Order: sequence, then structure tokens, then C-alpha cells
Amino acid sequence: MLQRLLKGSVGPRENDSRFLLDVHRRDLPGEDTMRRNRDDDEVDLCIVGAGAGGSVLAQRLARHGWRIVIIEAGPFWHPDEDWVSDEAGSHQLYWTQKRIIGGADPIELGKNNSGRGVGGSMVHYAGYTPRFHPSDFETLSQDGVGADWPISYWDLKPHYELVERELPVAGQNWPWGDPHSYPFSPHPVSESALRLWDGAEKLGIPMRAGPVGIVNGTFGNRPHCIYRGYCLQGCKVNAKASPYVTHLPDALAHGVEIRANSMAVRVEIDDAGRATGVTYMHERGGVERHQRARLVAVAGYSIETPRLLLNSASKRFPKGLCNNEDQVGRYVMVQGASQTAGRFPQEVRMYKGPPPEVSSEHYYETDESRGFQRGFSIQTVSPLPIGWAEHVLADGHWGSALREYMRDYNHWATVGVLNELLAQPDNRITLASETDEYGIPVARMDYTLCENDRRNIEWSTRVIKEILTAAGAQDILTIHRYAHLIGGSRMGTDPGNSVIDADQRTWAVPNLLVADGSACPTQGSANPALTIMAMSSRLAERLIRRKVDHGSSSVKTAALAGGSRR
Amino acid sequence: MPDLSSAGHLPNLREGGLPPDKSWLPRQRRGTTPQMIGRYPDYDVFDAADTWDAATRAVVDKRMRVGGREYTYFAPAEQPTLRAFCDICLAQDAEPRVPVAQMVDQKLAEGRLDGYQYADMPDDRETWHLVLRGLDEIAMSRYGKRDFADCETSAQKAIVGFLSEGELGGGTWDSLNVKRAWSVCMRIILAEFYSHPWAWNEIGFGGPAYPRGFMRLGPTSVREPFEKPGATDEDPVRVDVPGQE
Repeated sequence: MLQRLLKGSVGPRENDSRFLLDVHRRDLPGEDTMRRNRDDDEVDLCIVGAGAGGSVLAQRLARHGWRIVIIEAGPFWHPDEDWVSDEAGSHQLYWTQKRIIGGADPIELGKNNSGRGVGGSMVHYAGYTPRFHPSDFETLSQDGVGADWPISYWDLKPHYELVERELPVAGQNWPWGDPHSYPFSPHPVSESALRLWDGAEKLGIPMRAGPVGIVNGTFGNRPHCIYRGYCLQGCKVNAKASPYVTHLPDALAHGVEIRANSMAVRVEIDDAGRATGVTYMHERGGVERHQRARLVAVAGYSIETPRLLLNSASKRFPKGLCNNEDQVGRYVMVQGASQTAGRFPQEVRMYKGPPPEVSSEHYYETDESRGFQRGFSIQTVSPLPIGWAEHVLADGHWGSALREYMRDYNHWATVGVLNELLAQPDNRITLASETDEYGIPVARMDYTLCENDRRNIEWSTRVIKEILTAAGAQDILTIHRYAHLIGGSRMGTDPGNSVIDADQRTWAVPNLLVADGSACPTQGSANPALTIMAMSSRLAERLIRRKVDHGSSSVKTAALAGGSRR
Repeated sequence: MPDLSSAGHLPNLREGGLPPDKSWLPRQRRGTTPQMIGRYPDYDVFDAADTWDAATRAVVDKRMRVGGREYTYFAPAEQPTLRAFCDICLAQDAEPRVPVAQMVDQKLAEGRLDGYQYADMPDDRETWHLVLRGLDEIAMSRYGKRDFADCETSAQKAIVGFLSEGELGGGTWDSLNVKRAWSVCMRIILAEFYSHPWAWNEIGFGGPAYPRGFMRLGPTSVREPFEKPGATDEDPVRVDVPGQE
């Protein structure tokens, strides 16, 4: 009740990012005056990757006086100049360095699952920010599939609430999972999303507007969304949440250094088996550099984190760092993300408004009668012309037939699913024989769906087709695809079934943490961004309260006593 | 011919899965579209170009200049086949054409790839060379022509039809996963064609929208003042008015 009254007016404490941003420029404030550390300074924490996981961890700990360097492979963005309101022109936001894909169902990587540059993949995620359900943390004991986490939903809940205030998340009161409300009211719903809403309603499938990490109103110096529909191309408005606007401004103001265009090559280990820092190469120069650190956190996401560990082989870890138990890179997951489009008599112009508008978690939990375990969610999506062309091609059209469907673009509305695909040991990241421009072996990702995955995808695709039919669609086109990444260096209960423990500390190296989506043992049918941020928020809190035994007693005991600088 | 609220022009709803002859479409009256056909004859996305931010404007302007550029990736001997292949894939059968072949050439020359390579496929750049060679081989062996570009349009369409179904074999094709080769090529071809403002005019897409944004999300209207309604090539005298039959 109180939250409803205060909707849109309560900001987070302990994070000033929204006030630090400039109203007239989109650059990350503080880049010019950023603290610089020398390679041979032993910093408190070296983080690899300035994305959702790494940025939140850095922001939290910097407020408690930790001295932190983030090594980031991609560029330091200057959105006014670097980002464009154009689909093809946004190619550089994606991780387009080569990766080999294999298995029976290879996963196409890049634009819908891997980012590069300061801010990470959230720079080009759609903006959906659902929580995981409590059941996601114990799918093995509840449903006999997947895995149980060593932590529960309730461990993350306070951090979900905190991060939702920081993004901030806009949406209707949420009836699914652990029912909750959001700090900002839902955005208006566009014409194309309304068609899908109508169709779902006729079938008795409840839909809700949101949840999206997009400002509805103003939020500090962040303006209201302008509904231009280019969420996946990087938000030039600063309305859509990404660490670039939600956590890194505050992190820089508290002394974090981001070393962009720097590719981590290896995590180094000393004779005692402790991490000593990160060896990296700057884009210019071509020589290896080494940043010393008391504590190292790898936050490169589900492909680059295992790749970095596997490439950090040593005498102590001949098969790759932390891989003596052969767990690194295993249990990587994607979500099924089939999309179906329906044709309507009137123009709906689906390119207007954010692609993420309304969604449903009605089918999220297991229902034995469907013939498979776990479930899926339903979400609106709105491809721009190139995405729409891929959709039309996937239905088998090219030449004049493709042009005809393309000319009909303004009459179509699109809805998608997110299927919970299950963790399997042989869906795995390994190193390929080919090397990249730095001489590091490129990652290989093998993926094969299991029978439960196939049934889930098939069943869910039927549901979204029925929604469109109920909405009165005249023609329907479907594309089968995948989205998101999770897992690859998962947390677990012992070194035989996981890479890290419940505190995201690697089993093998006490002062080496994994702080990104690769830590998740399951994924639910929720978009992962919010959960990745919430996990880093929890990890930071535990580090600050000295609940994590990383054996580096020297890390900021003094700062701890002083607490936050503010 | 159908009015736009009917879906009678859509291939899946028609016998044989083919669209109507393009003569049902109006000629473009404003701005440029590929082949000067489209559904929005009075719409030109450049009418709103003064509302685009400078960075976006620069990217789009650069794209408009690719047509005049020399090929740097494909050898002269490959270029006719490349052009003919792109034309067939996109049904670009007349001028003005979006210069997709040159755009593909530039993209490959700059190495702007998509971030993945199938384990059973070569690098995308190599795949393109192989596909063009394979198309020429089929043109020679099945149609007795010098190369793919030398074939009749109907033969070119037939060959591309087989390619799209993964049904080409022999020679170079045996070294490729044919369906994946089709997807590698089409991904780039479609990305280039539908990144071009002429194609936006053809489909009535609103184009870049920063810092202006879109205000008309529905339900009262989904069209901004600069956007124009769709039209067909009907004789207004002979159009049936609903309710007057």
C-alpha cells in the first residue's frame, strides 16, 4: 500500500548514479577524472567485465572504500557519438568476435545474447527485468530436473527489491512467483501489444504490462522514455537501465577505474594457489600487462568467463583454472525464444514503443499435463525491419514473396516466448583450436536440446499461435530462435558438481570469484539481467560484512571501519 | 485487387505461395524505393531527416554512398554472379536498385561479421566465395551457361530455390552445409537491404527516431504527422466502397 502511494517517488539510497548523469550529454560522467591505478599497485579487487555483474559489484564495494579496477574488452562508450538510432549501425554493441558453435542445435551468438563494451549486454538488452520464481532455485527437488541452488529466492529477494529501485523497474503489480509490486507505474501499451493482450485475454491467459527497466516519469537526471523503439540498439535517451547509467556513474564517483579496450588473457596464480591478478592486453600495444589484485572477480558472462578460466591453465590446473573437476564451461544454457507474428487489417506499426511491453508468466511453473517439466513465459517483442526480414525468411520466404511480407510490416504484431531450457553437462564452452587477434583460443559452444526442451518449445509455440488467432490475425509467421545465456561456471554444493560455492567463490582458488550470469545453475523463463545484478548485490553485501572467507584479510579492513564515504 | 485490410496479397494465403504481380502496387510518387514500388507512395523517410541526431544521420548518409564505391573484397570475376545472386534473393529486377552487392562487399572487406561460425562451416567470408563458385558450377553443369549471371532469370530463381531448400550438391557444394550457407548469405543480404532508407520507404518504416521519438502509439492513431498511410494501385472510380454493394 505504501509503495503504491509512493510510486515513482522513492529512489534508492547508496547509489547516486541518477543524479551524476548529465542532462545534456550521455557520456558516463567521471571518465575524464577517473582514478588511475598502476599495474603494479595491488588493488583490492580486479573485476573482468564491466557488465551487469561486474558493475554492480564494483559500485557496492567502492562505496565501502575498496580500490577496484575493471578490465573490459570493449570500448568506453560515448553514446552521443557512438550509438545511433539505426538497426544495422548498432552492430558494434554486440560481441562479434568469432566463436565456434556446434552440437546438434548450434546457438547463433552475438546480437541477441552477447555484448561488448562498458555496460555489457544490458546496453542492448530489450529491457525486461522479471525476477526468478522461488521454484527456480530448487527445480531438482521440486520437479526432478535441472539443479538446486545452494541459495534460495529469499536470499536474493532484498537485492531484487533494491535493484528494482535502482533501475528503476516499471510495471503492474506482479501476481506470479513471489507476488510483488514495482517502484514505477506501468508504461502505456502500444497498438501492436494491445492486439496480443486482447488475444491472450480471449484465451483466459492473464497478461501484465512490464516489468521493464525503463524510466516512466523522470528519475534524477534520467528522462522519460520517448518510445522510439530502439531499445536493442542502445538507449541514447538514458531512459533504459543498464549499468552504464545505473551503477557505473556512482562507481566512478567512488574511485573505480574502468580499463576499457583491454582483453583479459589469464588469471594468474601463485605457488600457494592464490590468484595474484589478471594478465590482459590492451587493444593498442600488443604487449601483455598484469594488474595485481588481492581478489579477482571474473564477470565476463557465460562464454567469456569459462573461456578465461580455461585459458588460464597452469601446472596446478593443467586443464584450465578451477577445472580439475572438469566442471568449467558445463551446464551453459540459453532460452528458447520462438516468435510468432500475426497480420491485422489495420496498421499497428510495431516499431513504436519499447519492444518489451506486456508479458505473462502464466505458464512458468511445471504442469504435468503439458508433458514436460518447467515452463515458459510470454512476452511481446517488436522486430525492426532487419529483424522482421529474418523472421520472414525463417518462414521460408525469399525474393518477391519476402518483399511482399516486408511491405506488409506495418500490419504485423509479434509475440515471443522464453522457454526454460534445462542445464545439461554436455552443453558446454570449450576452447577451439583457432585463436583471436590477441592469440587467445576462441570459445566453442556446443548445444543440444533435450526432449524436455523440444516439448516445451513446441507446446509454447502453439500457445502464442493461438493467442494471435484469437486476436483475429489473418496470417501467422513463426521463427524458432534462442536468446540469453546463463550458466557455464555454476554455483553448487561441492566441487564435483560446480565451479563456485554459495558465495560465488571458486572451489579451487579462495580469492577468485565469479560474478556474472555464468554462476546460475538454472534460469527459469525469466530474462536474466535483474537476477545477475541482484546476485552481485548480494555478493557485495556479503563481502562487505566479511561473510566470504577469501583468505585476504588485508582487503579493506580499514575502509570497512570507516564505512561508506557519504 | 485487394484493399489493404484484406490479407489476400500475402503469399501464404495464395495458391502456389507466390505474391501477386507487382503491378498491384502504386508507383512511388515521393522519395525513392527499390524499383520505385512500395505501399507508401507519398512517404519519404528523409522528410524527417532534420529531426535525426548527427551521429545517426552520418551513418545513414554514409550508407547512401556505398553504391558509388569500388569492390574491394570480391574479385572482378565474382562480381556478376554476386550481383545476380543478390538481385534474385531480393527480387530486385529493375533500377533503381539498393546496391546490396557492394554493401555485402564492403561489410566483408571490413570484417564486420556476426560473432559466430558453425563448426561444420568455414569463415563467413570464405563461405561467400564458395557459394558464388557453387552457383557458377550449377549454371554450367545444369544449364550449360558460362556462369550464374549468364542464366535466364527463371533458371536463376530455380537455382536459388534449390539453395534455399539445401538441395544443391556436387562440386563445391559438397564442402558446405548448404542450408547454413544459405542462411549465412541471406543474413547479410537482408541486413544490408533493410538497412537502406529506400527499403524503409517501401515498407513505410518510420526510420531513425532520436531525439524526436514516437508519440502516436495508438489507439487513436499510429501515424506521426510525417508518416503516410498505405495505398494500393486501384482506380478510385472502380474501388468498392464498403457498405454500398
